[in-house]
Parts: sequence; structure tokens; C-alpha cells
Amino acid sequence: MMVLLAAFITIGGTTSCKSKKRLAKEAAEAEYKSRVDQAVKDLNAILDDETLWSLEEKEARVQTIKDWNLQNAEVDDLLYQVEKKLARERAQKDEEERRAAEEREKANAADVVLGRNFNSIANASSVSQANRVINETLGMFESPNTPVLIIIKQNAGFNDYDRPTTIEKYLNYVKDQKKATEKVHEIKYNSNGKINEIELIKK
Amino acid sequence: MKKIIATLAFVVCFAGIALAQDELSFERKQAIDSLALEKVRDLSKYIKIVGSKETPFSEANRVIDRAEELFMSDAEIGVSSLSSNQITYYRVRKYFEHLMRLNYDRVEIEWYNIEYVSDLQRQPDGTYVGVITIFQTFRGYDREGNMVYKDTTKKDITVYVKRKETQIGGRTIGFWDVLLGDMRVKETTNR
Repeated sequence: MMVLLAAFITIGGTTSCKSKKRLAKEAAEAEYKSRVDQAVKDLNAILDDETLWSLEEKEARVQTIKDWNLQNAEVDDLLYQVEKKLARERAQKDEEERRAAEEREKANAADVVLGRNFNSIANASSVSQANRVINETLGMFESPNTPVLIIIKQNAGFNDYDRPTTIEKYLNYVKDQKKATEKVHEIKYNSNGKINEIELIKK
Repeated sequence: MKKIIATLAFVVCFAGIALAQDELSFERKQAIDSLALEKVRDLSKYIKIVGSKETPFSEANRVIDRAEELFMSDAEIGVSSLSSNQITYYRVRKYFEHLMRLNYDRVEIEWYNIEYVSDLQRQPDGTYVGVITIFQTFRGYDREGNMVYKDTTKKDITVYVKRKETQIGGRTIGFWDVLLGDMRVKETTNR
């Protein structure tokens, strides 16, 4: 009887251990399959531009998939294609950000120069001195007829403007009235880096 | 019945929008009030520049062009004198040309107390019309620097402010166009 009981426990224990291992293996296999499926789905979505993720989110997703180390031919192939695509997008985004920063820097610089020139014209000690600064300032613009918009009031995202004028007339106005009561609000440039539209706002 | 309700709703909604467009907020109204006053102050500076014997001829002509742009095309400016009860009205360019030719060696023209005598009021056609009053002191000097003439004139200027639109850089820009109308002499004294 004792022998039979010992045999039963031994056989039963072995069977239970084997079953646990099998279950663990099945679970691992299921998880692997699920990750492969998810990776294929996400990578294809990125390739086909079917996600709303930002570039940073896409890059993070790719890193997560790489960290899974799935060693699956289909996933590896998709990863290769997606990484190439994201590298292109990253280069393009970096370039856009660089250009935007350059534009901002240029606008800030122009903003400072124009503000200084407006004051110089308004406070010039003679007509000829004011005219010299006017001519120098006009050189920053596409033409003397470059449009100037003057915001008299901003209200809930809506601008009220004065009658549009041209940069030549505006600079002469500053000279005649001996006052520079507007500051630069927005500047637009042409492809040659000259200002082709400017918005001023009452200080 | 549904049609009637829908029509009524449309009419009420449309009327509401039209009313909202008619009524400017206090802040926006204040902005156009200030804009019109600023145009009158700009005019006073132009009169001073053109009246000054030190202003080069080419500059004076350029300033007259700018001053003309402030006015309605048919506007007239009244000129008075202590020596006569008559008030002469000139078209804007003629007034400035007359000012340039005044027979003094030096003139001083000062405008002060520039203020609304009648606030901007919306007219049925959407134009805002008001009257701004100004006081002008005119002093004329001879070659020796003696003041040989002085008067102070009260003048009323009608101002018209209208909402207009123009295309700039492919965008439609709505703006307030301020135009000055007749400048009428109300009173001239030797003060």
C-alpha cells in the first residue's frame, strides 16, 4: 500500500510539473505570437501612414518592438523599411525646425532693426537724416510699395486694421508725424529674403 | 407648420447675425474713435509742415499728397480772417497751396483741444459719422521776427468711418477707412 501511494505521488507530481511547463510554454508562445501580430500591425500602419502618432511616438514604438527582439523575418523586414522611412521623416522635420528657427531669428533681428529705425526716423534732427534712414530701411523690403497693415485693435483673435498703406508712405508718415507709435507684429519674406508684407500693431 | 418654424428660426438667426454685425463692442468703438482723432492730429501736423517756410518745396508737395488722402474727394476747408467776415472755402489741395503762399516770413500754426463735439454714430448705410472740433492758433511774423497777425479759429471737422475690404497677399483684409469731410469755421477771434 505504501509502495503504491509513493508511486502515485511520484507519477502525479511529474505529470503536474510537465503540465505547468507546457502551460508556460503555451503562454510564452501566445505572447510571442501576439507581439509579432502587434508589431506587424503597428509597423504596417506606420509604413502606410495610417496612424495619428507623432514622429516621436512612432520612433518610440519602433524602439519598443526592437526591444522585444522577436527574431521574426517579417518583423525584421518591416523594421528595416520603417526605420528608413522614419529616418527620412526625422531629417525632414529637423530641416523644417532649423528653417523655422532661422526664420524666427531673422524676424526677431528684423523686428529689432525696424523698431530702431522707426525711432531714428521719428527722432531725426533733420529731414535729410530721416530720409537717409528711410532709404536704408527700404532696402530691407521687396519694394517701396510693400504693403503695410496696421492693427488698431485685437479682439478675441480678430484684428481691426487701419487703411492699408505702403512701406514708403509709412516711413514718411513716421518722419512727418515725428512719432513711432507702432511696433512690428508679423513679417513675411519673399524667396530673396526681402520683406514682402508687414503687419504693425499700435503700441 | 414645420416649414413656418424653420423659416421663423432662419429669420431670427439672420436678424441676430445682422444685429451683431451692426453693434460694435465698446472696445472696438473706442479704437475707431481714437483712430479718427489720430487722423485729425495727423492733419494738424501736415498743416504745420506745409505752412512752415523752412519745408523744402518737394517735401511740402509730398505732404500735401498725404494730407489729401485723409479727406473725402469733395471736401472743403474753410479759411477766415479777422479783417473780413467772409469765410472762404477751398478744396483740400487749393487750401494747402494757399497755405504755402501766405505772405509771411514765418508762420506758426498750433492745433489744440481736439475732441469730439458729436460722437461717431452709425448711419443706415453702415458709415459712422461724427464731428470733431479743433482750435487753431495762427501767428504770422515779418522779416524782423515781429508777430504781425494772430487769430484763433474754432473749426468743426466731419469724420466718416466706413468698414471696407481689400485684397493683400491673396487675403481679404477688412479695415476701417477714416475720411475727413468739410472743415467748417465756427468762430474766429483775436485771442
